[in-house]
Amino acid sequence: MLRRCSVLIVLPALLAMLVLASACGGDGTQSETFPLCAADPGPAPLRRITRFEYGRTISDLTGVPASVADQLPPDEETLGFDDIAGAYSVSSLHAARYLDVAELAATTLTANLTRLTAVAGCDPTAGDAACVASFIAGFGRRAWRRPLEPDELEAMQQVYTGTAEPGPADGVAGVVAALLQSPQFLYRPEPTTAATTEPLEPYALATRLSFLLTGAGPDDELLAAAGSGGLDTEDGLLAETDRLLVGPRAGELFMHVAMQWWELGALPALDKDRSLYRTWTDAMPAALAEETRLFLAEAWQGTPNLTTLLTAPVTFVDADLAAFYNLPAPGGAGFQRVTLDPTRAAGLLTQGSFLAEHAKADQTSPVLRGKFVRAKLFCRPPPPPPPDIVVMPPTVDPRLSTRQRFAQHTADQRCASCHIQMDPIGFAFEHYDAAGRWRDIDGNQPVDATGMLAGTDVDGPLDGVPSLAARLAESDQVATCTATQWFRYAFGRAEQSIGDLCAVDKLAAALTGRSGDGDFRKMVRATVRMSAFRNRGPETSP
Amino acid sequence: MSRSMPRGTTRPLSRRTFLRGAGGAAIALPWLEAMRPRRAQAATSPVKRFIVMFSADGTIPSAWTPTPGASETDFTLSPILAPLEAHKADVVVVSGLEQKGGGGDGHQTGMGGMLTGQMLNSGPFAGVGAAPAGWPMGPSVDQRIAEGLAVPTQLRSLELGVQVGAADNWGRMIYRAANQPLPPDDDPAGVYARVFSDLHTDPAILARLRRRRQSILDGVGAQFTRTSARLGNADRQRLDAHLTAVREIETRLTTDLVVNNPSCHDPTITPVSAAANDAFPAVGALQMDLMVMALACDIARVASLQWSRSVSQTRFSWLNITEGHHDLSHRSDDDVAAVDKLTRINTWYAQQLAALVSRLKATPDGAGGTLFDNTLVLWCNELAKGNTHGRLGAPYVLAGSAGGALRTGRFLRYDGQGLPHNNMLVSILNAMGVPDRTFGKTEWCTGPLTGLL
Repeated sequence: MLRRCSVLIVLPALLAMLVLASACGGDGTQSETFPLCAADPGPAPLRRITRFEYGRTISDLTGVPASVADQLPPDEETLGFDDIAGAYSVSSLHAARYLDVAELAATTLTANLTRLTAVAGCDPTAGDAACVASFIAGFGRRAWRRPLEPDELEAMQQVYTGTAEPGPADGVAGVVAALLQSPQFLYRPEPTTAATTEPLEPYALATRLSFLLTGAGPDDELLAAAGSGGLDTEDGLLAETDRLLVGPRAGELFMHVAMQWWELGALPALDKDRSLYRTWTDAMPAALAEETRLFLAEAWQGTPNLTTLLTAPVTFVDADLAAFYNLPAPGGAGFQRVTLDPTRAAGLLTQGSFLAEHAKADQTSPVLRGKFVRAKLFCRPPPPPPPDIVVMPPTVDPRLSTRQRFAQHTADQRCASCHIQMDPIGFAFEHYDAAGRWRDIDGNQPVDATGMLAGTDVDGPLDGVPSLAARLAESDQVATCTATQWFRYAFGRAEQSIGDLCAVDKLAAALTGRSGDGDFRKMVRATVRMSAFRNRGPETSP
Repeated sequence: MSRSMPRGTTRPLSRRTFLRGAGGAAIALPWLEAMRPRRAQAATSPVKRFIVMFSADGTIPSAWTPTPGASETDFTLSPILAPLEAHKADVVVVSGLEQKGGGGDGHQTGMGGMLTGQMLNSGPFAGVGAAPAGWPMGPSVDQRIAEGLAVPTQLRSLELGVQVGAADNWGRMIYRAANQPLPPDDDPAGVYARVFSDLHTDPAILARLRRRRQSILDGVGAQFTRTSARLGNADRQRLDAHLTAVREIETRLTTDLVVNNPSCHDPTITPVSAAANDAFPAVGALQMDLMVMALACDIARVASLQWSRSVSQTRFSWLNITEGHHDLSHRSDDDVAAVDKLTRINTWYAQQLAALVSRLKATPDGAGGTLFDNTLVLWCNELAKGNTHGRLGAPYVLAGSAGGALRTGRFLRYDGQGLPHNNMLVSILNAMGVPDRTFGKTEWCTGPLTGLL
């Protein structure tokens, strides 16, 4: 508890003092001048590649589908993300699955002469020793994201010798399987310097860059840039950054992060009480996820800023989803872009995925929706309920509206002090039922979607989601919180020092921009330029 | 394998037959009969087995607690435990212990302490109304058994799950050691492929595969050692833990599967959508089949079946219950409908335990008798009661005697004695043949549970 307070309360206060001293407020175009912002890159704990990254990377390397990663045990998720370095664990089940998938990938690759030849410059399965060596060096460099050192090459040569039975193709597969189970592939070990903060060596920097921007290991071009000194200058680093940012993988990474930020990871398992929501079918979770993916993809390609995400009155539906939402069927087959009524719709906030996920099976939940806004958009989670309170959702009563059934939260003083922070935000969503569809009647009463935003930098009365969305899109606190979410994903850890909060502040500045022209792409680009990204601090012994 | 499965008894196999077997789900290949070794080893002492079964979100104590009679052997099973009537003489119902634990929110505390008798470390998982917590400070009791008995099986232990999902301290109960959760495998098809591969692989191919994997894992292990040496302390510990896991896989490669039990055969599994809510019973039934067969084949002697997770939101639609389990578990004791539903949910879990016991009783042991004779099953829950998060009087049912170590057919009431469940875990260790005098957090544990053995 104490630790949480120190991060959330004490440090922002200190940071505010720094900002007042105009120390961190700059956009850092040339260099980071304020010592507290620049001195310490912060801890960089060993990262394991996540299931998401593993699937994409092993697919790149060998041609197996990325879905092979589904065979791995799930990643630990904390702070809302799958890549937090302090959380992961390993077991023999992990090791068994890594073995299985590595063997599958190895068999797949060795059956693909085109790929093998592209890597080795010859056909290593023919058994020529020089060609095998060339394959080990070439594939090893891609898999381990750096050239192999002599002893590593020799070790893999030994694996080849030990597995080339009955033929050389088996040895090649053996090498691939070994490379893909080694820590240099499964983890992202970075050379550790003794006592000082130093620039990361180029291959480690390339690895950070690639996973940050694409959720996968470096491609040939990036490795070549690392090898030729291309990443040694800021211009060179930014050139590679911009190349990767326009590729399809960056958009996919954006979706991956945004879906976690919006707490949509459990969407595939979402279900509703079908006696109350008769049009909910097994197909709904996938349809709602697709709607959100298409929305995010368009945002990334277009204007990926908070205004788009929070307010754009557009979405994507196919005929079935349109029928579910009671919208006109879209022209054309499959999912189509549709423009919605801006007095009702507001970006992700009115998508079925978000609304249905933040609701109960049989009723809406102003608490869950309000709590999401406070915790994930303002980074100001409400305190937990007092320990002596038996928490239970009110029984569904068709004669009463949700608002009436939650009246106890304001009637009971012990509840009211915290629920005043959540429920009045959540009430603004009341036009959307627990499955995410528009409604005018709740119980037997007309919907009342008025509410209140309090304790933020954009306080004021609310009536419906668009009124909330407009305030959120204007909020500096929401921008800073969004940058905080990105920081956690990008660095795989919680923000924990003044330097970190300084970094978050820089990211938020890039997200909003001086004249409102910032966006997510610029925030990602700003990440790459930060000291914490390009340097590695001295090892701190626990 | 080559030592334990004489080649002479194996009919020749076509590669086609092998591939069909390796790729498919529902198979029982005829040549497996031929693979069975003819010789049996003389057993010096009975092979004991330990199983944990977990169900979530607390129980309804009034509907769970048996009605006591004149003595501990004279009792009437409660509504929830009624499905165990056929096995009444083979169970011990234990009430009134405090399930110790600490750190995290109520569910985290309960889940972490349930099998470890330990506190949670501080860590990354932020619960409701508590400081963020990590993993427990020690191993779970099943892992201590595996260690104490130095089980020589291919798998040190077998963790099976039914829709457990996310990797966090609400969803993990088995710990290899402090901070080392062992995830359950939720997918019966994956379990089948991994656990029974030796039974459905042509011996000649298997022998080659094992040699090959040893070469590969030798190389991999060396890379872990090499990389680890270049890292800082904390990072090094992570890679060292991974290396331990790799070594366990290697151990399996060098451990021959010695099948002494005629009831061991390659199991048949039917395809099932492992994550679909309504498939929950079917997935559980498959996992129980696979677990029992893994015990029969002596692939593992320590196993667990985890139904969902703490804060389980399973919807028991097959019982005509539409609400999520956890939502229901927070309803008031005055909510008659909710109490009825929770009673039915817990009764259903008792039926599953009964089914597991029946399977064990129906499976002959190689050394004579049935698997059940030498097995001990512990059914536990992270909480006593869902709407209070209370852990006093957590519901424990033990089934089986562990080869006569435990006197069964009893209802033991420890209510009001303030005893920690650590003591029961010590007695379980003793029943299994591990002579420890304490388990879990030493400040809590006061020794074996008086009267249990």
